[in-house]
Amino acid sequence: MTSSASITRRITSSVLALELLAALVLIATVANHERDVQFTVFKTNLRASANALFGTLQEAENKGGSIALDSSARSLPAAAVYRVSDGNGNVLGIQGPAPLIEVAPGTFIKLMVNGQPYLFYSMSGERAIDPGKPFAVYHHVRIIYGLPTKRVWHEVVEAVRFFAFATLLLLGTTAFFLTWLIRKLLTPVRELALEADRINTDTWFFNAPQSSKRFMELRPLASAIEKSIHRLQRSFEQQRRFTSDAAHELKTDLAVIKSSLQVLSMKRRTVEEYEHGIAGSLEDLKRLESTVQKMLALARLEQAPTIQNQSCDFSEVVLESVALNQPFAEIRELTIVPSGTELAVQVPVGKKDALLLCANVFMNALQHSPSHGHIDVMMTQTPGSVCLKVRDRGPGIEEEDRPMLFDAFYRGDTSRSRETGGTGLGLSICKAICDRSGGSISISNHPEGGALVDILLPVLPDDPPAV
Amino acid sequence: MRVLVVEDELRLAANIVAGLREAGFAVDHAADGLAASAYAEQDLFDLIVLDLMLPGRDGKSVLRTLRARGIHSPVLILTAQEGKASTIELLNAGADDYLAKPFDLGELIARAKALIRRSKGKSSPVLQVGELSIDTVRQTVTRDLRTFDLSPTEYRILEYLAHRPRAVVSKKELLEHLYDYDWEHHSNVIEAHISNLRRKLTSAEEEPIIETLRHRGYRLRVEEVR
Repeated sequence: MTSSASITRRITSSVLALELLAALVLIATVANHERDVQFTVFKTNLRASANALFGTLQEAENKGGSIALDSSARSLPAAAVYRVSDGNGNVLGIQGPAPLIEVAPGTFIKLMVNGQPYLFYSMSGERAIDPGKPFAVYHHVRIIYGLPTKRVWHEVVEAVRFFAFATLLLLGTTAFFLTWLIRKLLTPVRELALEADRINTDTWFFNAPQSSKRFMELRPLASAIEKSIHRLQRSFEQQRRFTSDAAHELKTDLAVIKSSLQVLSMKRRTVEEYEHGIAGSLEDLKRLESTVQKMLALARLEQAPTIQNQSCDFSEVVLESVALNQPFAEIRELTIVPSGTELAVQVPVGKKDALLLCANVFMNALQHSPSHGHIDVMMTQTPGSVCLKVRDRGPGIEEEDRPMLFDAFYRGDTSRSRETGGTGLGLSICKAICDRSGGSISISNHPEGGALVDILLPVLPDDPPAV
Repeated sequence: MRVLVVEDELRLAANIVAGLREAGFAVDHAADGLAASAYAEQDLFDLIVLDLMLPGRDGKSVLRTLRARGIHSPVLILTAQEGKASTIELLNAGADDYLAKPFDLGELIARAKALIRRSKGKSSPVLQVGELSIDTVRQTVTRDLRTFDLSPTEYRILEYLAHRPRAVVSKKELLEHLYDYDWEHHSNVIEAHISNLRRKLTSAEEEPIIETLRHRGYRLRVEEVR
């Protein structure tokens, strides 16, 4: 299996890691606090015990001016270590191996006793015998009292252990519920994926599940899928229609040629009949050839535009194209009147394509014009772009045809166009050329009648800097 | 037999018309859906060859209205579209057969003959009428191993009558089904052809095989089986 990341696992582990970190900090804090508390209690306990010891000494019987500690009077922990001595160094009472040290009274000190850590408290006091009397004796008493700290640490460790166990339990519970929760929350995503999975080239139906529409985070995704499916479907349908139309066109042309030859071969014919038949078939072949050529041109133009430094002088191309179409115009007794072509203007279109663009537009105008008319070809320049308007005096375009005019194989009038030589590809080719260079083409009706083709092309700077 | 060819591609239509005419059919041509409907509704055609993509009115709707008006002529669809779905839809809409472009003209003619044969209630391409045997594929007529040399029109008249033996066929019907609109109508051509046929098919001592019923028409006499 390849490494595949899981959102559930990631979120769960992130949350658990954060939780663990928080727990560790908490445990540290708790341990610290617990130690402080335990030691405060411990020290208070030490002080109290030492004071109690002193109290016992105060109450001890006076034996000829000297005092002695009656250890049996107080119940002291077995682990306690203490020494009570007077100012002269006489030990009044002792338990355990109390160290002989000099420390300032009222302070605590850590010492090792029998290899165990002990905390000692030292204090001093005055034991007065018969105070207020002239024979009063004063005894300076020093007490050092210690207890092992092992028990305190044990308390602290116990508290920490409890917290650690609770944290572990919490982490486990969290991991379980988090996984379940994330799974549950991700259900809309799975449903969305399931729905998206149903889409194929036959069923372009995508209905975002209700669950995905409910969530703010998923709504953009669902609508994005919906939109892109719609776009894909449109382009797929367009492609399918193009293929089907192209097939229809080619099959019709083939059917003509095939049937022509079959009629010819149905029986023996005269040389004239054969010659006539062959000439007719060649005409039909020419039609087929032109259809194929136009389809190939369109396919080439519709490919993603490649970066190329093609350019040409559009004025020159327009004039050349007008000249090329002159013979056809003369047959139909039409005149083409170009204007605004005096200045050279560089456009980012290859000369061949530019000629093709003009030829298609002029041919359209010539074919739709009534005889004895004229066609206006007006070129105007604006900063950054050049506009070519071609107006004929024909019947113009039907409003309902307008959205489809640039679709491949679309013909405004199906009955007439094949006879006039149209394949329905001319305007698609024009649009592809304009789109490729970043320009545009549109067709409208002139207010005074006739169709008006509007071509807008970007203009290249006069002297492109040599790179 | 009279065929209506509905096809908007004129070069193709001309070829189909020429091919069918050479095969012995009277053929009329309509270039769009509206003309096709107008022609077909006269109910004169023994077969309609219908292209699907038509200007004015598409082939499918022409077909539907024809069937709705009770016109039973067999319809052979020509289509350049692919796909089983459209074929099924067409057959369900009342079409009898279909051919995909680019088709074979020979196949078109063979299917045309088969459809006409079927619509007249015959299954064999050889029509047997009494002692006469009419081969509709080779367009030959034989009687007791004798082969007759008939002109194309004479053959067509005989074949038409042979599809309906014992029935009286009027001169008008013969004219309508054997000639297309391109033909100059002269009602006496039929009489001339009938008399030629009768002369060629029957010798002097035999009973004439084609009877003339005055003011009613003609009838192919069929002798009872011996």
